[in-house]
Amino acid sequence: MSLSGNYFAGVDVGSLAAKSVILKDGDIFATGLVPSGVNSVESGLNALNIALESAGLKQEELTYIVGTGYGRVSAPYANKAVTEITCHAKGANYLHPTVRTIIDMGGQDCKAIRIDQDGAVVDFAMNDKCAAGTGRFLEVMAGVFKVELKDLGAIALSATDTVPMSSTCTVFAESETISLVARGEKPENILNGIHHSIANRIAGLFSRVGIESDVFFSGGVAKNSGMKNAIEQALKVTIVKPEIDPQLIGALGAAVIARNFAKKEGLWA
Amino acid sequence: MGKQLFRYSEANKEKFLESDNITFNDGSTVSPEEIWHYLTEEAPVKYPSAFEVNLYQGNRGSRDETLPTSLKTRYLGLTFSARMEKAKDNGKSIAFIQGGQAVDPYTAADTIALRPGLVNQWNNGLEYGNDINKENLRRKKSKEKAFHDMSFEACQTGGYEHVQAGDLRIDVIAPYTVLRCSDISYGVEAHRHGPKKNVKLLNVDYPLRYQADKPWAIEYFAQNLRRLVNTLDEVTGRKTSEDDLLKAIKLHNTGRRLGTELAELWWSADVPPTNSDDRASMVSLGNLEVHGDVQASLSVLKEAKKFIAERVKNGVKGHAVADNPKRLFILGSCVGINGSRSEDAGAIVVGRDDQWSHCSSLVEEEGDPYYNLAKATLEYPYEQSIEKRAQWTIEQIKKSRADGVIFIHNWGCNTQAAISRPIVDIIKRETGIPTYIHERDLHGLRDEQEQNRVNAFVEML
Repeated sequence: MSLSGNYFAGVDVGSLAAKSVILKDGDIFATGLVPSGVNSVESGLNALNIALESAGLKQEELTYIVGTGYGRVSAPYANKAVTEITCHAKGANYLHPTVRTIIDMGGQDCKAIRIDQDGAVVDFAMNDKCAAGTGRFLEVMAGVFKVELKDLGAIALSATDTVPMSSTCTVFAESETISLVARGEKPENILNGIHHSIANRIAGLFSRVGIESDVFFSGGVAKNSGMKNAIEQALKVTIVKPEIDPQLIGALGAAVIARNFAKKEGLWA
Repeated sequence: MGKQLFRYSEANKEKFLESDNITFNDGSTVSPEEIWHYLTEEAPVKYPSAFEVNLYQGNRGSRDETLPTSLKTRYLGLTFSARMEKAKDNGKSIAFIQGGQAVDPYTAADTIALRPGLVNQWNNGLEYGNDINKENLRRKKSKEKAFHDMSFEACQTGGYEHVQAGDLRIDVIAPYTVLRCSDISYGVEAHRHGPKKNVKLLNVDYPLRYQADKPWAIEYFAQNLRRLVNTLDEVTGRKTSEDDLLKAIKLHNTGRRLGTELAELWWSADVPPTNSDDRASMVSLGNLEVHGDVQASLSVLKEAKKFIAERVKNGVKGHAVADNPKRLFILGSCVGINGSRSEDAGAIVVGRDDQWSHCSSLVEEEGDPYYNLAKATLEYPYEQSIEKRAQWTIEQIKKSRADGVIFIHNWGCNTQAAISRPIVDIIKRETGIPTYIHERDLHGLRDEQEQNRVNAFVEML
C-alpha cells in the first residue's frame, strides 16, 4: 500500500453510529464504523482511529478533517464542521453524479434532499420531533418481534400480504402491532405493513421537495432491503445501488468537502 | 472550576460613558456610569448564565461592545425582573397579554402589558446565581409544571403557570382572541379552573376572518377595546379618558415611526451595521413594550437610530458578522433563531414578520381613538388572509434583500402550522427565494436539532 499522497477525512457522528471515511487524493482509502456512545468526541475519534489503523496512517498525516452529524459540534479533531444534509449530498454525488434526490434514514431522523449536478443542496425536508420513520422506530419493532434489526427487511420481503399500520407514533405503533399479533396476523405481513407505513411517511416529505431521478438511499436504514423495496413502491422510483455501505455516505461527503476546503485554503493543489 | 464569563472590555468604557442616560416612565434616570457598573460588576454575579461563554447558549445577547445601545438593551433586559418587582412595590398594575396586539390601551390606562415571553423573563430573573445548565433546568421545570396545569399541547404557556403558582404579581389577564394564538383557550380554561381564578380575566374579542374593511367589525372591536380599558381602570382605580388614549397612540406612533426608520436604515446599509441580536433588540424597541417601560424603550430607540445612522454612513459591519453573510428573513409567531450561532454559520437575520407587522402600522391620530386603534389593529398585515399576508411579507423580504426565508412555528401553534406551507409557497413562487419550514419543539429551547436545520439551510444558500 503506497502512503504517498494527500489524505482527507470525514467523520460522521450520528445518534446510533459513528462513521469515518479517508480519501487518498480523490479515492476512498479507508473507512471506520462503530456504535455511538454517550461521549460524541470519543465516538468520533474511535471511528476515525479504525479508519486510520486500516490505512496505516496517523492522524497528523491527514491534511484536513471535516466533522458532521449531531456530534459535529463536539469534534475538536476536525478542522471544520458541516451539517450532514450537505455531506450526504456530496457523498451521493461523489458516487453517482447523476443522483438528484436522496433519502437519508438515520437513527433519529429522516431527510428528503434534492441536489443539483454538482452535489449542492437545492431543497430539503426533515421529520420534526417524531421518531416514526427512523432507525429507532425499526429498532423498537425488531424488539417487539424479538428478531435482529438486520433481519427485519428480509422478513418483510417474505410477506404474502401487507397489514396496514395506522399509528403515526412509535409507541402507539408498538401497541397496535401487539394487537395485530393477538388478532392472528402473520408477523411478516405486519412487518411488511410497518415498512410500507414508514415509506408513506417518507413520501410525505417528498411532497414538499419533489422527486427527480436518479434516487439514492443513504443512512443505516438503507441496509434494510424491505425498506428499500417499500420506498421504491411508495415513491414509484428505482433506487440506485450504492457501491459502499450506505451508512458511510455522510462521512464520505464530509471527506469530499474536506478535500475541497483543503484545496480552497491552499493546503492541497 | 468556575465557568468562564464574558466581560465587557474597559477599552470601550470611555465611549460608552459619553452616551445618553436612560429615562424611565416614573421620571427616574440611569446614567451610563451606573449601567457600566451594573453590566461589569453586579450582573455577572446575579446572572452568570447571561455572561457564560458557552457554545450552546441560546440567548446570550449581543457582544457588540462598541455599540452603546447594545449594552443598554442588555441592561434593560437584565434589570427587567427587578424593575417589574419595583413597579409592583410602587402600586403599578401589570397585565398579562397574548395575541400580538399593540399596547397603546395599556399605556393609556397606566398598566404595564407583558407578553408570555416577558412574563417568563420576569420570573426567570427572580433567581440569582444560576449558570446556563441550572437556568435551563429551572425553565424546563417551569414548563413541566405548565404541562401539568394546562396542557402538553399548548405552545405559549408563559404567564398562566406563574399566575397559578402565585410566582408573579399579575393583576389582570387580557388576551386578544386572535387566530395567531390558537392555543389561548388552554391558558384561559386552566385559569378559570385554577387556584388563582380571582385574578381578573378579560378576553378581548377580535373579529376573525379578515374583517378589516367592515365598519361593523371595527365598531365591534372598538367596543372591546373600551371594555379592555374599563377593566384595566377597575384594577387601577383611575379613569382613563379618550384623551389619555390619544396621547398613548401619539406616543406609540412616535415609537413605531422610529422603529420603522431604524429598520429601513439598517436595510439600506451595504454591510449589516449590527449583528442579528442587536438588529432585533433595537427594531423591537419601536413597539415601546419590550422592556415593560415605554419611556425607557423610547430613549434607547432614539439613541440607537443615531448610532445606526453613523455606522451605515461609515460602512461599519456589526460584531461577529461574516463577510457577505446569507441574509435570512424569519416568519412565524413568537419565534426567532439563535443569532450568534447562525452568524457563526455565515448567516444574519435581517427581519421578522411577527411584531414588525404592528410596528409598521401607524394609528390615525384624528377622530375617535378607539375606532382608529381598532381599525389599525384589524389591518395588521400579519393577521390578514394568506395571500395578503404573503404579499406584505414579500415586500419586506425585498426591502431587506433577504436570500432565504425560514418559517418557524411552535408545537401547538396550530394556525401558524397550517398556513406556513401556503405562505412560503407564494413567497417561493413570486420571489424564487429558497424557503424552509421548521416546527419548534415544545419547550422552546433553541436546541441542536433546530440549529442543524438552520445551518443546513444556510449551507444550501
